[in-house]
Amino acid sequence: MGRIQLKGVQKDFGKVTVIPPLDLEINEGEFVVFVGPSGCGKSTLLRLIAGLEDVTGGVIEIDGADATDQSPGKRGLAMVFQSYALYPHLTVAQNIAFPLRMAGLTRDEQARRIDNAADVLNLTDYLDRRPKQLSGGQRQRVAIGRAIVREPSAFLFDEPLSNLDAALRMGMRLEISELHKRLETTMIYVTHDQVEAMTMADKIVVLNAGVIEQVGSPLDLYDNPRNRFVAEFIGSPKMNIITGAHAEERQATSIGIRPEHLTISSGSGDWKGIVGISEHLGSDTFIRVDVAGVVDTMTVRAPGKLRLAAGDTVFLTPDMENLHRFDKTGLRIK
Amino acid sequence: MIDNSPEFRVKRGIGLTLMLVLLAFAAVPTLWVLILSFRAPMAIFQPIWESPLALTLDNFFKITRSNFPSALMNSFITAGLSTAFAMIVGVPAGFALAKARLSGKFVASWVLLLLRMAPPVGFVIPLFLLYVNAGLIDTYMGLVFAYMTLTLPLVTWSMWNSFAQVPDELIEAAIMDDANLMQAFLLIALPAARPGAVAAAILAFLVAWNDFFYALIITRSGTATAPVAVMNFISYDSVDWASIAVASIALTLPILPLMAIANRYIVQSLSGAVKG
Repeated sequence: MGRIQLKGVQKDFGKVTVIPPLDLEINEGEFVVFVGPSGCGKSTLLRLIAGLEDVTGGVIEIDGADATDQSPGKRGLAMVFQSYALYPHLTVAQNIAFPLRMAGLTRDEQARRIDNAADVLNLTDYLDRRPKQLSGGQRQRVAIGRAIVREPSAFLFDEPLSNLDAALRMGMRLEISELHKRLETTMIYVTHDQVEAMTMADKIVVLNAGVIEQVGSPLDLYDNPRNRFVAEFIGSPKMNIITGAHAEERQATSIGIRPEHLTISSGSGDWKGIVGISEHLGSDTFIRVDVAGVVDTMTVRAPGKLRLAAGDTVFLTPDMENLHRFDKTGLRIK
Repeated sequence: MIDNSPEFRVKRGIGLTLMLVLLAFAAVPTLWVLILSFRAPMAIFQPIWESPLALTLDNFFKITRSNFPSALMNSFITAGLSTAFAMIVGVPAGFALAKARLSGKFVASWVLLLLRMAPPVGFVIPLFLLYVNAGLIDTYMGLVFAYMTLTLPLVTWSMWNSFAQVPDELIEAAIMDDANLMQAFLLIALPAARPGAVAAAILAFLVAWNDFFYALIITRSGTATAPVAVMNFISYDSVDWASIAVASIALTLPILPLMAIANRYIVQSLSGAVKG
């Protein structure tokens, strides 16, 4: 259960096409992340799958059956919203019970499932509280609780962590990943944060202007980006992109090199540069180097111990094995 | 920080004085009416210090023997029914206007605003002619429909605003939880907009309760409301000030608790109670 197929799915708002016809297959039990810059259509795509938006064209199949014209509640999917969308006048228990009430389950069965979910999500002590009496992380857990009691064939998450602070976000990321491991249910997760995508996904779908740029495993996208957009979007700090003579030397319109694939030395190397700002993370140091004549600034990942002062002259050498070449349309040259 | 500068104290003094003057302007007539209602008929035109003890409850007993109590009941019935009908129609209408993807919302907002702003005198002549032909003069239904020209736009307009404050995601979450539109409306959206709904109902009730003009034109003896019945205490040769005072009190008392509730809910609905 939980196989979702999009066949030629298209969405127009008035005369504007936000998602041109698109095909995508999500396998049973997969954790799929839709990632892309804001306005790329990732949330719209999720809402099309949920049924909260009508498709303009194409077919959505869930477990082999055409669900295109099915109402959202009948698709067997559960959704966790960015704002959590908890019902403010209901207690935590009543919030979690709401989908069960709608499904007409007996009170005993409702209570059993609520207890179960509360147990899994550490909400047992909060069942009688109202949403406004909870912290952000607790609210998030209630929203997830409301989703899991339905025992859906797939979970849909719409930027669920973007309202949490950084520390909490990391904790919830792990919790959701663990939940996925335990439930083995298909999850579709929308985020603009490529770190979330890299850390959680079995499969990442990179979207740009409503078009799927690439689908693949996190490391596959990282190591073998199909084009410059994916290469630049995946990875933090971003891949360094060099255009002009240095790219043409290598028969490409532009070349890309990730910060960890540059060797920094004070003696000799391919490109000479001046050290700008250094960001010390402890384990690593990210050094911005102004490489006159090549590119304005390049980011280099160096060991945490390395100490360089702004203004020092350094030499950078790219690891040729990991140099990416792109043609004039932005596609990677293999 | 507490500002103790002389300049601030003078400003505060002026402010307080102004407030007290305004308060007196509003409160003194009410107090006066309250005192009048207990004055013996003979003592009404005497200064109060000349016969401070000329107090009586006779005015109250007297008015119970008039047709005023039934007029008060008419007020309750017509204000209550016109509020109820306005809520039954206006609350779902406000929900639809706030949440449905409709074209022409702009036009709807102007029409509603126009209906709220338009003076009753603009409606009353055509309404009167229509009612004469339809036999609705001096009927509850006639007056209730007339009041709905006031209460329905008010309820629809304010519920539109209240539902607009309920996040779309809340309704979408309910739809995802397999609620149908009616369940999403009744079980989720309406409770979330409850302060607004209570405030709208109370304001609608007050508009109808305080009306004099429609009732004067549309009712006769059978369904006259309390504000019209007060006029009966003014006859060709005398004015029964004591009864008018009692009637004024009787008209004000029922709305005091409403005002207290309305105050709370209006503040709540303005401060966005749907957070979280």
